[in-house]
Amino acid sequence: MAMFEEIAEEVVKGQADKVRDLVQKALSEEISAEELLNSGLVAGMNVVSEKFKNNEFFIPEVLVSARAMHSGLDILKPLLAEANVKSRGTVVLGTVKGDLHDIGKNIVGMMLQGAGFEIVDLGADVPKEKFIEHAQQQEINVVGMSALLTTTMVYMKEIIQALKDAGLREKVKVIIGGAPVTQAYADQIEADGYAPDAASAVDLTKELLNL
Amino acid sequence: MMQTGDIPIITVKADTIPRAYEQAIKEVWENGISVRTEYDRPGDPPSRDATVVIVVHQPFSQPRFHRSFADGLGGLAEYVMEVVHGAHDYWVKPLEEILKGTESKDTRWTYTYHGRLFEYRIEDAVINQIDTMVKKLSEAGFTRRAQAITWNPKLDPPTEDPPCLQRIWGRLCEDGEGGYVFNMNTHWRSRDLFKAWFENVIALTTLMRKISDSISKETKKPVRLGRYVDISDSLHIYGSYFREIEGDEERGIKSFFEKLEGRSFEDRTWHSNFVKPYFIDDGVGKGLKPMLEREKDMPAPVREAITEELRLMEEDDYIV
Repeated sequence: MAMFEEIAEEVVKGQADKVRDLVQKALSEEISAEELLNSGLVAGMNVVSEKFKNNEFFIPEVLVSARAMHSGLDILKPLLAEANVKSRGTVVLGTVKGDLHDIGKNIVGMMLQGAGFEIVDLGADVPKEKFIEHAQQQEINVVGMSALLTTTMVYMKEIIQALKDAGLREKVKVIIGGAPVTQAYADQIEADGYAPDAASAVDLTKELLNL
Repeated sequence: MMQTGDIPIITVKADTIPRAYEQAIKEVWENGISVRTEYDRPGDPPSRDATVVIVVHQPFSQPRFHRSFADGLGGLAEYVMEVVHGAHDYWVKPLEEILKGTESKDTRWTYTYHGRLFEYRIEDAVINQIDTMVKKLSEAGFTRRAQAITWNPKLDPPTEDPPCLQRIWGRLCEDGEGGYVFNMNTHWRSRDLFKAWFENVIALTTLMRKISDSISKETKKPVRLGRYVDISDSLHIYGSYFREIEGDEERGIKSFFEKLEGRSFEDRTWHSNFVKPYFIDDGVGKGLKPMLEREKDMPAPVREAITEELRLMEEDDYIV
């Protein structure tokens, strides 16, 4: 349908106002919120994700597109809740304690959201207690941790241990990322997966949740 | 490039920041030498590195923003506030604690550029070096002594991340029409070209304009911005970025240079008018408005300075 393609295209171009107008117009034509989400906004962010993965898009462009997606999503959210539409899964994300760098974590969050996941963003400088508190909630499937510093990435191990101590390690999948982090480090601390970039984080999450 | 042991010296000249940025990446990639750094991860190739002098003839001419940098536009705005107004000076560890020695688990910052430039601590004095530059240049524009340093030989050598920016130097020249031209040079010890240079330069040229405006106010004469010169002893592309620069033909991942060539210059840059609303609020949690809402502990004078910056940004003719 042309309307969906148009919305997806404007998301890719980062045209927040146009996305908002198109979503409102589509709703007035009685197109369902779920269809608009999946065939318009998510479809657009899938293109962005693919372009980013193939090194065709720059990081700031991803964020400009994410803003456009949000302008549509903000309108759809209450309608989706009303219709009881379920997300593909819920991921709790945070940059670990002592680390204030959040750009990588934010992009992962936006890409996951663009792929249909619900995100609980804990922000930066997040202590293990806060991760545990959220991981206990029923809907959380994945815990994602980020660190940009060699001095802070070691805290990821403490969080995994805290998840074990709280009896939550089997309940949630743990994914990690950040500049100094490697697959070897993920194996060493017994995370379920490592992603070198945001687009791979989406693939990894889908893989871990068998989607 | 064949390794001779000599570090290459590269000069780049361009009218705008994005043009200078692209040329510098190409030059360092093609003509830099391979050198290891303290930040290499196991398995990373050595960095590509050179001593580089970059001249931007018109730092505020358009398009002023390249689309290739490691943050969003709202995040860039917050970084500019950090350098120009000291937005994150309150994240710096108190001097007394730095002197006691850094605990490995303490990840608070040991400095900010704003802190060192505007509040340099030496013996019992706290010196606003930018204010001194403005005063010196306003009294005698031809002076060669208007500079601000960052390095602290007592505090910096033992730390993990000592300052990259070392010195700012400025000079006024008469424009022949009764006004002045403010020329500024910045000197860097070491610099991540691919993921830090662009953001550094947006912040430093914003500071350049702030100094220039202050001199104009002081001298009551028009002061326009001259060329910005950026001198790095080691300007490098880290080995960990090579995957991004080289791409992967087999997996259909374009190289950085293919990405540039595949798009027009207009399509890989942004005009300040496009950027301004994102600087105010990028819609995804960053920018001046979200920053003021999020950072409740920011000291009142800094909050006031950023609020004033926000007011200026909301005016039509203010260029970010």
